[in-house]
Amino acid sequence: MRVVREHRDDLVARIRVLAALVTGLIAVIAVGFWFVQLVRGDEYRQLAEENRLRKLPIKAPRGLIYDRQGRLLVENIPSYNLMLDRSRSADLGKAVRFAAGVLGLPPDELRGILDRYRGIPAFTPVLLAENLTLAQVSRFGVISLEYPEFDVEVQHLRLYRHGAQTAAFLGYLGEVTQDEIESSEGLYKPGDLVGKKGIEQTYDAVLRGVDGERAVVVDSRGELLDEFGRQQAVPGTTLKLTIDLELQQEAARWLEGPEKVGAIVAMDPRNGEILALVSSPGYNSNLFARRLQVNDWKALLEDPYHPLQNRAIQNTYSPGSTFKIIMATAGLTEGVFNEHTRVFCGGAGTFYGRSFRCWKRGGHGSVDARGALKNSCDVYFYTLGQRMGIEKIGRYSRMFGLGELTGIDIKGEKKGLVPSQEWSLKARGFKWYPGETISVSIGQGPVLMTPLQMASMTAMIANGGYRVTPHLVQDADVPAPVHVPLDASALKIVREGMWAVVNEPGGTAYNSARVPGAEMAGKTGTVQVIAQAQRTEAKALPFKYRDHAWFTSFAPLDNPEIVVAVFAEHGGSGSKSAAPIAQAIHAKYFKIDLHPAAR
Amino acid sequence: MQNISKSISILPLAEEKPQRLRFLSSLDLGLAVSALLLAVIGLATVHSASAEMTVDYFPRQAAWVGIGLVLLLAAVSIDYHVLLDLSIVLYALGLISLVAVLFIGVERGGAANWIQIGPWQFQPSEFAKLATALFLARYLASINSRFLDLRQIFTVVLIVGLPIVLVAIEPDMGGAAMYSPLVAGMLLVAGVRMRLLVTAALIAILLGAGVWAVGMKPYQRQRVLTFLYPESDPLGAGYQVRQSKIAVGSGELVGKGYMQGTQSQLRFLPARHTDFILAVLAEEWGFVGVLTVLGLYILYIRSAARIAMRARDRAGILLVAGLLSVTCFHVLYNSAMVVGYLPITGIPLPFLSYGGSFTMVSFIATGIILGVDLRRYVNR
Repeated sequence: MRVVREHRDDLVARIRVLAALVTGLIAVIAVGFWFVQLVRGDEYRQLAEENRLRKLPIKAPRGLIYDRQGRLLVENIPSYNLMLDRSRSADLGKAVRFAAGVLGLPPDELRGILDRYRGIPAFTPVLLAENLTLAQVSRFGVISLEYPEFDVEVQHLRLYRHGAQTAAFLGYLGEVTQDEIESSEGLYKPGDLVGKKGIEQTYDAVLRGVDGERAVVVDSRGELLDEFGRQQAVPGTTLKLTIDLELQQEAARWLEGPEKVGAIVAMDPRNGEILALVSSPGYNSNLFARRLQVNDWKALLEDPYHPLQNRAIQNTYSPGSTFKIIMATAGLTEGVFNEHTRVFCGGAGTFYGRSFRCWKRGGHGSVDARGALKNSCDVYFYTLGQRMGIEKIGRYSRMFGLGELTGIDIKGEKKGLVPSQEWSLKARGFKWYPGETISVSIGQGPVLMTPLQMASMTAMIANGGYRVTPHLVQDADVPAPVHVPLDASALKIVREGMWAVVNEPGGTAYNSARVPGAEMAGKTGTVQVIAQAQRTEAKALPFKYRDHAWFTSFAPLDNPEIVVAVFAEHGGSGSKSAAPIAQAIHAKYFKIDLHPAAR
Repeated sequence: MQNISKSISILPLAEEKPQRLRFLSSLDLGLAVSALLLAVIGLATVHSASAEMTVDYFPRQAAWVGIGLVLLLAAVSIDYHVLLDLSIVLYALGLISLVAVLFIGVERGGAANWIQIGPWQFQPSEFAKLATALFLARYLASINSRFLDLRQIFTVVLIVGLPIVLVAIEPDMGGAAMYSPLVAGMLLVAGVRMRLLVTAALIAILLGAGVWAVGMKPYQRQRVLTFLYPESDPLGAGYQVRQSKIAVGSGELVGKGYMQGTQSQLRFLPARHTDFILAVLAEEWGFVGVLTVLGLYILYIRSAARIAMRARDRAGILLVAGLLSVTCFHVLYNSAMVVGYLPITGIPLPFLSYGGSFTMVSFIATGIILGVDLRRYVNR
């Protein structure tokens, strides 16, 4: 009775029909398999054996890079690689001997390369040689019937037209790492070349474009028979930089050669456009465009001056006397001193029970703000520093961008160090000594900044207190300049003091930096590497014990257009080694001939 | 709805022992053996398919099969009437997990349809489908008529519609579509008048045509066309279809031998350890291998159908019918897709394809079906 109540027979009948239907459909599908596997099996077997259907990538050409005048800095050039498909080789030994003959290499070297590919399946083509000459390419083309295992692959390499001269901001390419693939959200595939430093790194996403792909049918020799479908590559975006190539080359030349260690930054103070950026010793970006040679890499890593470090943004140094620019602006803005306040310098001063010497043993006599900057009088700034205290000095330093990233569009920037009582307790575990404030007042002691921060700070003096974001790519998305509350008349006094440094007799860079007609203003800085007591004449000291030299500058005095900051590691004194470099760069910028007589 | 487990008399304790003994002898061998053999073939093929991959999926799939067998035994041992009584709770839990995945879902391949618990990830939509089958069976069992009326059909659509909408907004359209064989199979078995079927089919055609003509943007139409005609996308779906057919066809009568399939070993076949596992098998074992596997599926399907037909009550019949419909659909669609007759979409093959949630659910479903069979004499 239950059966009737539940209409069981109906359900059973329906299931019977559905089960038969499904069984029938599976039988139809089985016929489908029979058709594909038995009727057309030979055809498909042949297709499978010859692996005729392949997907080939279409590499997107990487974006070109130009300087601000439209001069080409980076381009792509074709390069030919010899690939070997071992699964197609009838006699691998013979093939290797043949290739060695064409390439002019000992066969053992090629065998060594092949040994390294042992773990890779035989049907995966392997790279046997790079950068073939056109003559070699045609030799391998001619014998493709006899040796189907060889294939010449065209690859586009990056060519940095100015090699090491532009490496500090252009950077270089390298093979993508596993980490980069994972964090790229599908942008990178294994084997891709990606920017590892500089512009190539920061703007990788726009420079690289989008790779395309095509599905092709090839014959057993790998020759293309038919294209099955294609997705075009989207070329990378062309970048126009703010760099001025001529200025960059001028700057780079000054730091070429042995014992030329340092960095140069030239920038437009009105908008933060970087005109030149040099770090020395550097490296040639072209070394990385091909597979990097082990010896080249070792040399770069073992160089005691770390060429891979970008000294302009990654290394921090004591500012030395260039710090007096910040001190003077701070003191005048705060009203601790006014422009007429005079301090007597007798060659030394006593602070907190200790005697601090001025660099000039005989003293500067009575100096005001302008005079103190012009002569770089230590005692004036010791006195000012004692009156201000470390907290105020720190606050103004931060207003000038010290201890913070400038935001430049290349990676690796360091913040530097601005001391404070809190920092001392936290980082060093002891209280700030008031005596240290005296050292900091002349840019010694625990205050550190990068050459880029030096340029950025100088730009604020030049542009009337605006913090601009340094950048290398034109039309880059940079924040608007931020006005910092610095007293306009204080800035004017500092600018005049800096002008006197270069243009008035007795200024610390009067003999070494004046550019007739350019109205250039600047400030020297010399950072002691070893204590005063141990030193002798600069030239006699071994290189690594020599002082570091700074010179930071802007021009012209009214409405400045360019800031140049120069740092020469172990260069000696700021006025002797750093100032002439800045002088030459300003002269180049304003197209002024410094030595008309030499013509 | 009446309480189903209370409607049958509970056996006296004395009969506990004979029932235990009957457990193994009355287990449906056709269903159990076909499922086991398919799982073993699947393990071997997954190992071969992943030989050239960075990960061998064999150990993981072996673990899933092991867990699946334990779950199968658990499902057999629970009276399906208890499961039906609990179905409202399970259904609610299923919906909650689908809502949870919207917030804490882990994305894989476009849709955030995975939940991560410790080291394990699972797809709630697979488990929710099982709960929906139970709930539908319970509802349809309570109806005592030859054919469903419109109100009842509407209730069924509502029950299955909730999880479908939740899966669809993940967005996992394919996963949402996988609920349709379940509801279609159960409705057909429960009884839908021919008149209504024809009307529904006509409405669907008209609606589809209307949406195509006015409701779709050109790029959406393009997407549908690409799905229907993969040749129009030679680098995506078209490429896969061709490679799959080359793999299958080149297997010919007896195949190239285990682990010898050049198509699969040369990494030409996409998703070869999951959706295209049958192509790997067809290449390495030929038409003989394909026939064996399809034969085992027929054995599985016919055994389950037989179990449904001799089940004790309407609820048992409908439950088995629903679970079986899902399996049938997967087998039919996947095998037809591999041989190039249907558009490519992510529908795995039960017991063969690699995949944790789906393997576990397939074993649980088999366990429930076996459990229905075991209890066919209980109330005699």
